[in-house]
Amino acid sequence: MKKRREPKRDSVALLYDRGWKNGLFNAVNYLLLGLFAFACLYPFIFVIASSFNEGTDSLRGGVFLWPRKPTLDNYRAILKNTNFWSAYRVTILRTVVGTLGSLFVTSIVAYGLTDKKMPGRSVILIFMLIPMLFGGGLIPGYVNLRNLGLLNTFWVYIIPGLFSIWNSIIFRTSFGSIPDSLKESMRLDGAGEFTIYCRVMVPLSKATFAALGLFTAVGHWNDWFSGAYYVNKQELVPLQTLLHNLLNKDLAAITGRDMTNKIQQLAEATNVGIDWTSITSMSMKMATVLVGTLPILLVYPFVQRYFMAGVMIGSIKQ
Amino acid sequence: MSQREISAVTRKTPLEKFKKTMRQHGIFYLFVLPGIVLLILFAYMPMAGIQIAFRNYKIRRGIWGSPWVGLENFAFLKEKYFWQYAANTVIIAGYRMLVTTPLPLIVALLIHEIKHPKYKKLVQSFSYLPHFVSWIIVAYMLHSMLALDSGIVNSTLQKMGLKQIHFLGELKYFRHIVVWSSAWKGTGWGTIIYLAALSGIDQEVYEAAIVDGAGRFRRIWHINIPGILPTIVILLILNMPGLLSAGYEQIMPLVNASNMQHSNVLDVYIVNLGLSQGQFSVATAIGLLLSVINLGLVLGTNAIAKALGQEGFV
Repeated sequence: MKKRREPKRDSVALLYDRGWKNGLFNAVNYLLLGLFAFACLYPFIFVIASSFNEGTDSLRGGVFLWPRKPTLDNYRAILKNTNFWSAYRVTILRTVVGTLGSLFVTSIVAYGLTDKKMPGRSVILIFMLIPMLFGGGLIPGYVNLRNLGLLNTFWVYIIPGLFSIWNSIIFRTSFGSIPDSLKESMRLDGAGEFTIYCRVMVPLSKATFAALGLFTAVGHWNDWFSGAYYVNKQELVPLQTLLHNLLNKDLAAITGRDMTNKIQQLAEATNVGIDWTSITSMSMKMATVLVGTLPILLVYPFVQRYFMAGVMIGSIKQ
Repeated sequence: MSQREISAVTRKTPLEKFKKTMRQHGIFYLFVLPGIVLLILFAYMPMAGIQIAFRNYKIRRGIWGSPWVGLENFAFLKEKYFWQYAANTVIIAGYRMLVTTPLPLIVALLIHEIKHPKYKKLVQSFSYLPHFVSWIIVAYMLHSMLALDSGIVNSTLQKMGLKQIHFLGELKYFRHIVVWSSAWKGTGWGTIIYLAALSGIDQEVYEAAIVDGAGRFRRIWHINIPGILPTIVILLILNMPGLLSAGYEQIMPLVNASNMQHSNVLDVYIVNLGLSQGQFSVATAIGLLLSVINLGLVLGTNAIAKALGQEGFV
């Protein structure tokens, strides 16, 4: 005889939701959500397929889910562009430095604020609340960056973002849930506050760090605006800004070479094995898009479970 | 010793009090310091820059050296083109809000009804993907998918013998493209908060309802929605500023010669006027006006929510 298992709590509904109405609802629901999920995913599939398809072939239309005439030429072409590598380097650098810096600064400020008996604490909290309600605006912000001498430097990407009020609130909530007894016992052992921060607060808030780290990193990676308006030097242009510049431009701008020069074309074609005649501006853009999004798409599955927890903390605070 | 002498001995001088505070809290002040400095530098100093709206700002003269001109920079309020841009902004923002406010809620409620954990996780995972992609990438995707001949929509139409649609080149499609690509990008992500709130509803309420004979729709209407009403209200209040900002990050990559009539929205105008054309004063004035209205919207919605019995944000 089979042992009767205790039904899980949320399957009580399963026992009672019978009948054709519920069956219909379920079927429609699953279908709708399936379509929704597919709609979310499809543009990515299209970009991937297009990027691996010969450009001139794509022009004929009909390439939906997989490449019809597969080729690596689109990728070979962009990877030869030095502008591209420079932009990639800038983006990676600013994402890593900016994210780590922001996580550190914001969390340590949050830890400082967990000292509830600190004189003037409420003043500081109000001081930190006001900018969330009201700001200087875009132009005063720009003028300010100019006055601080940050324009046209790498640091314009990093320093303004080092402290985030919103994130500090989330850190504070997360730190607040760590029992005081833990901190007290470390203090009695003679540990300094910074040690407590490193040994206790950070390890016990891994989910928050992961979630906020992901959000910050994505913010850095995807920002095209700063690179467009806060810098001039070509070597400081990040990837998304480069993509923005190229959006309405043609092949020459992307490859960094003059495509009207037939001789050069032939030379390139024979030298590096790329069939330039089959590459179109669009197919190269697709390859650039994929390379520009790839790191996020790769990291995403791993970090996914962390940000659910991070957002939960934020929502519980409400 | 008399009472007086005792308290004279134990009372601390201000200097001693300060030293004691520093010993107990000094390190924490140190931790908080970078936050305060950074906020002063990047949040409060720009606030002082708001006065650019009231001056005739010239870069070389700096803020303080530029002459005060009072409300002169607000002359744009008399111009016809300004109201045209304002209309563009509100139409797009309003349309978008109508679409993107209920969608995450509905999808969250539907996802909540899925019983198979694997399917649930699959749908959720895919639905978060669009959020992580930049607006530039979205613009690229739109360009490639909606293009004539090679785009998926048009090539399907072609195969079926129907006439192609020039999505990107005709004015009338612009607003729909903006709003629905916003929906694509934000819906999945928006369900997170609602799903978190839904999971906070007590299971016993469901069981009691089921015993009383409540079917699925009844349960959704009478338990799920009221259960997360506070969350819905707070998100509504927080989204109010969105009514005035059509979003330059999203719109600028999509602007082309054929959609200028609709794509010239106020925030794009501020960017072009101020950062590209260097007319800092007027651009700041417009920005200031929008900020003030935003604040009013947030506080107003907050007050209405409170009057209706809900917990507000402020």
